[in-house]
Amino acid sequence: MASKFGLAGGIPERRVRPIWDAIDSRQFKNALKHSTSLLAKCPNSPYALALKSLILERMGKSDEALSVCLNAKELLYKNDSLLMDDLTLSTLQIVFQRLDRLDLATGCYEYACSKFPSNLELIMGLFNCYVREYSFVKQQQTAIKMYKLVGEERFLLWAVCSIQLQVFCGNGGEKLAMLAEGLLKKHVASHSLHEPEALMVYISILEQQEKYGDALEILSGQLGSLLMIEVDKLRIQGRLLARSGDYATSANIYQKILELCPDDWECFLHYLGCLLEDGSSWSNGANNDPINPPKPVDCKVSQLADEVFHSRISTSLAFVKKLQADTSNDFIRCPYLATLEIERRKRLHGKGNDDDIVEALMLYFLKFGHSASFSSDVEAFLQVLTPDKKTEFLAKLIKTLDSSATAPTKVLGQSITIFKIQELTGNMYKLPVLELEGCAVQMVEMYCKSLPLSKDLDPQESMHGEELLSMVCNVLVQLFWRTRHLGYFIEAIMVLEFGLTIRRYIWQYKILLLHLYSHLGAISLAYEWYKSLDVKNILMETVSHHILPQMLVSPLWGDLNNLLKDYLRFMDDHFRESADLTFLAYRHRNYSKVIEFVQFKERLQRSNQYLFARVETPILQLKQKADNIEEEEGVLENLNGGVHFVELSNEIGSKTLTFNEDFQSRPWWTPTTEKNYLLGPFEGVSYCPKENLTKVREENVRGVIEKKSLLPRMIYLSIHSASASLKESVEENGSISGSKISSEFKFLLERHAKMLGFSLSDAVEVVMGVSSGVKSFEAFGSDEIDWINFAVFLNAWNLNSHEPLQPNGDQCGRGIWRLVDTLLVKYISEKIKSVESLICSPRVDLPILVQLVTEPLAWHGLVIQSCVRSSLPSGKKKKKGGPVDQHSSLVFNDIRDSIHSLCDIVKEVATWIRGQIDRPEDESVEIILSSLRKKEQDEGPGRVFHVLESLIPSINEAELGDRISQELKTWSPLDVARKIVTGDSTLLSQFLNICESKIKSFQALNQQIAQI
Amino acid sequence: MTTIRRFSCNDLLRFASVNFDHLTETFNMSFYMTYLARWPDYFHVAEGPGNKVMGYIMGKVEGQGESWHGHVTAVTVASEYRRQQLAKKLMNLLEEISDKIDKAYFVDLFVRASNTPAIKMYEKLGYVIYRRVLRYYSGEEDGLDMRKALSRDVGKKSIIPLKRPVTPDELEYD
Repeated sequence: MASKFGLAGGIPERRVRPIWDAIDSRQFKNALKHSTSLLAKCPNSPYALALKSLILERMGKSDEALSVCLNAKELLYKNDSLLMDDLTLSTLQIVFQRLDRLDLATGCYEYACSKFPSNLELIMGLFNCYVREYSFVKQQQTAIKMYKLVGEERFLLWAVCSIQLQVFCGNGGEKLAMLAEGLLKKHVASHSLHEPEALMVYISILEQQEKYGDALEILSGQLGSLLMIEVDKLRIQGRLLARSGDYATSANIYQKILELCPDDWECFLHYLGCLLEDGSSWSNGANNDPINPPKPVDCKVSQLADEVFHSRISTSLAFVKKLQADTSNDFIRCPYLATLEIERRKRLHGKGNDDDIVEALMLYFLKFGHSASFSSDVEAFLQVLTPDKKTEFLAKLIKTLDSSATAPTKVLGQSITIFKIQELTGNMYKLPVLELEGCAVQMVEMYCKSLPLSKDLDPQESMHGEELLSMVCNVLVQLFWRTRHLGYFIEAIMVLEFGLTIRRYIWQYKILLLHLYSHLGAISLAYEWYKSLDVKNILMETVSHHILPQMLVSPLWGDLNNLLKDYLRFMDDHFRESADLTFLAYRHRNYSKVIEFVQFKERLQRSNQYLFARVETPILQLKQKADNIEEEEGVLENLNGGVHFVELSNEIGSKTLTFNEDFQSRPWWTPTTEKNYLLGPFEGVSYCPKENLTKVREENVRGVIEKKSLLPRMIYLSIHSASASLKESVEENGSISGSKISSEFKFLLERHAKMLGFSLSDAVEVVMGVSSGVKSFEAFGSDEIDWINFAVFLNAWNLNSHEPLQPNGDQCGRGIWRLVDTLLVKYISEKIKSVESLICSPRVDLPILVQLVTEPLAWHGLVIQSCVRSSLPSGKKKKKGGPVDQHSSLVFNDIRDSIHSLCDIVKEVATWIRGQIDRPEDESVEIILSSLRKKEQDEGPGRVFHVLESLIPSINEAELGDRISQELKTWSPLDVARKIVTGDSTLLSQFLNICESKIKSFQALNQQIAQI
Repeated sequence: MTTIRRFSCNDLLRFASVNFDHLTETFNMSFYMTYLARWPDYFHVAEGPGNKVMGYIMGKVEGQGESWHGHVTAVTVASEYRRQQLAKKLMNLLEEISDKIDKAYFVDLFVRASNTPAIKMYEKLGYVIYRRVLRYYSGEEDGLDMRKALSRDVGKKSIIPLKRPVTPDELEYD
């Protein structure tokens, strides 16, 4: 940390060293001691003060740190004779940054640079400040300053990058790109370029302006030699030529690349695209989302005349044949898959037929049918076939398999492929139940038979035939969906648990189990498997969709809190450190990464999941504290009364959201977080192509965030509205805030109603209709929680409003209190009846029950708490004796009744939970296992399970090897059944705790109100 | 069926199926981004049809004098794309860049001493066990430092195995 003259910020290094050592070893108290003695000697040294503030910040004393830091800054500004060194400034910068005051750090550097305008180190520090603030224009100006000062290439490129950032991430227009080009051109003329990355930036500036010819010229000139890897250069050339419309030359370039890299599939697609003059992959359309790329099926139909088309197709076929002949490597698949793509293009042009595609598929199968990636390789090609042709292809495959006699692992691989193709073609759902069962039995038998093939494999390596059990699970879930027989569902769980007993690393099984347990209602078990996936860092953004939605409606608040906290911490940490990493890319002259980093940060900031988690985190806190109004108010205070969430709700409609979730690994029955086929009736789906689902999701997600963001504010207003209503009647002068609350509240209610698709008065009518029994609960559709929340907030608003709820109604003042009670009680008791016992059927209604208790009922409870608190004689202001007015006494009656009925209904929930938990474990275990043991029947669940069970007694250790035999012996279906039962209890106990806390809170309120 | 290209930030959003593998570490963002910012030529991804991430390699170049070398920090392939020599392809690419562009003397890597399949694979690719690093992995498991000499190390001095194991604090580079 010392400067090169042995002075650190003007202080001899030996005096500073002990402070740094103490900070580095996290001995902050010790560091502070050293710092105090240093300050005694140099009380006016900004550096000594900066060090002190750094220590204070590390000790968590933010306010003190800021004041010391500001002090240092002031000294620095005041005394011009003082050394304005980068060490002092960078130390101040660190503290200011940690205190979230980047502006102050920038101010210091700006001041320093104005004092010492030719100090490169300081200007670089200033540039870094602007990078942290994402001030692209100032970055550009500062970089130009440095460039003028020393004329180095890198500073020019820093300026050019800053310009590009204005174009890509700011609102800079075309003129800026011209400016960048001009700067580069001038520099190249006098100094040339020396870094490959500089050349790349130059080319991209030209490309942005569609000056492809200029870019090509530069690339083929002397500067082109900066690109050391020939293929990299060719790729750029190919792209530029294609974008300029010179398809013929471009196709030649891609041909060259393919000769060098015959397995480059993307390059082949470009080659073919150029031959057929299809520029769709080059256009900058809506399809350029790199995370959710369009399917290759989406390519344009060639506009070429038939004759030309034929000749181009023959050219490509001849070239592909040559590639096939030239490559001896058995692993190179591209030239073979290429023939399929050519056939597909022919068909798109109306010149090919399905038979040719099937033939090409067969050839590809013969060569690569055993490989695990076969089915995903050909997925896009299968999709163009008619259903009949798919069946024909499948039949041909099965025939081929019979006639081939190759190595056992190859035969296994091919057999698995055939099953997978069966899945992909959607053939499964057409089979009758018995045949489908037979299919699953066949798969599991094949799995058992193939175990000896993995005898000598290391436990770290994936075993042969592992995919079979995933497929068995898919079939069993299909059978469950069709028959609603829980046995199949349990069987699917058993199969995967079995697979994980033999090798515990198989993540595919874990994800399937996670979703099976989720659907069953055993969220705690689902969460266990989720944890075993070790999802961390960026994976939280892409894969937490597997568990987050279920957790949000579960009673596992502790786990949910960790999930949300970890995720938000990861994202926020990234936002904090991203700029420094961008500067690192600047420093190392990797300019393309500068742009990439800034764009990536923006992408994450607009992540729908991030916004979602930011809204859900306070809602969870509000749920957790709802039984204690003071604590709830503490939460609301930290949220500034929920105001900025209302702002988020207002803005969400105009925000571009990003969808970074990776849905590839989700099972077919729940392809997105919003969809679960098993919840509906059987509709003939057994495979879900992983299409780009972003568009469908976008509207939905927007709506949910918009609605949820209003919640904290509505809760805040409910509490205040309730207390204002009583204060107004109990105290003499009506409060002014009361009317303000009322008007804001009404506005939000109108918005809430609108989101439900109604005007406020129509929504009121729906709620009243349902509550009085005129309308059924079905009127709420799937938004039941939102509707009941609406009723709760409506009542809270109405307490303090002087408007009638309906034009002709008289429901004013004490309002619709009874209506809300009735709604809650009726709905909750209906759900208690419909929630099944886990061992009989998946408990899909449990999350609704949990939500009812923890959301609308809890918010209503807060309204009650607020009323009771306002009515209690406060310490300071004793209520005058005398009769309570009529309005209040009516309200008290409502409150009393409400407390009674709500407490009773929660007690009912608690009783139901206890009934479930107290059921003898062995009995439940037996019921689970018995759903699988129906050997006497030919049809029904249990056949697959039976195959696994009969494997155990017949273990041949010599054949299976030590490890697999040992693992097999530990397999216990009984343990799995027991796990399900205890997992269920864990979940229900958490819910019971929540209910008990609510009961206690209601009982306490009851006592309090008795005193009024 | 492999398009090998430079790894980009967006690939971090698509590599889940590769990183679910229990032996593949998911690092924090600054780790990946430091590699991207400093050694973008040493961080490559292999893509298959449908833009699927098949696997990737990340590494760096560091050292002084005769210990100037390429280093493989991670190489991994999704289960669906194993047994196709993809790791070999990625390793060869990194070796070529170390050799031709950066003129390094050797390439090295660390592997868990228990990860026999990986060790065997590296041996097939020409790597030798240079030394054992005691308790390298989280202070529990030993690591093996494996090396392969490049053309600049004519006498193959860099890969003469050390006779004794070393401790992590004796390592020259992290």
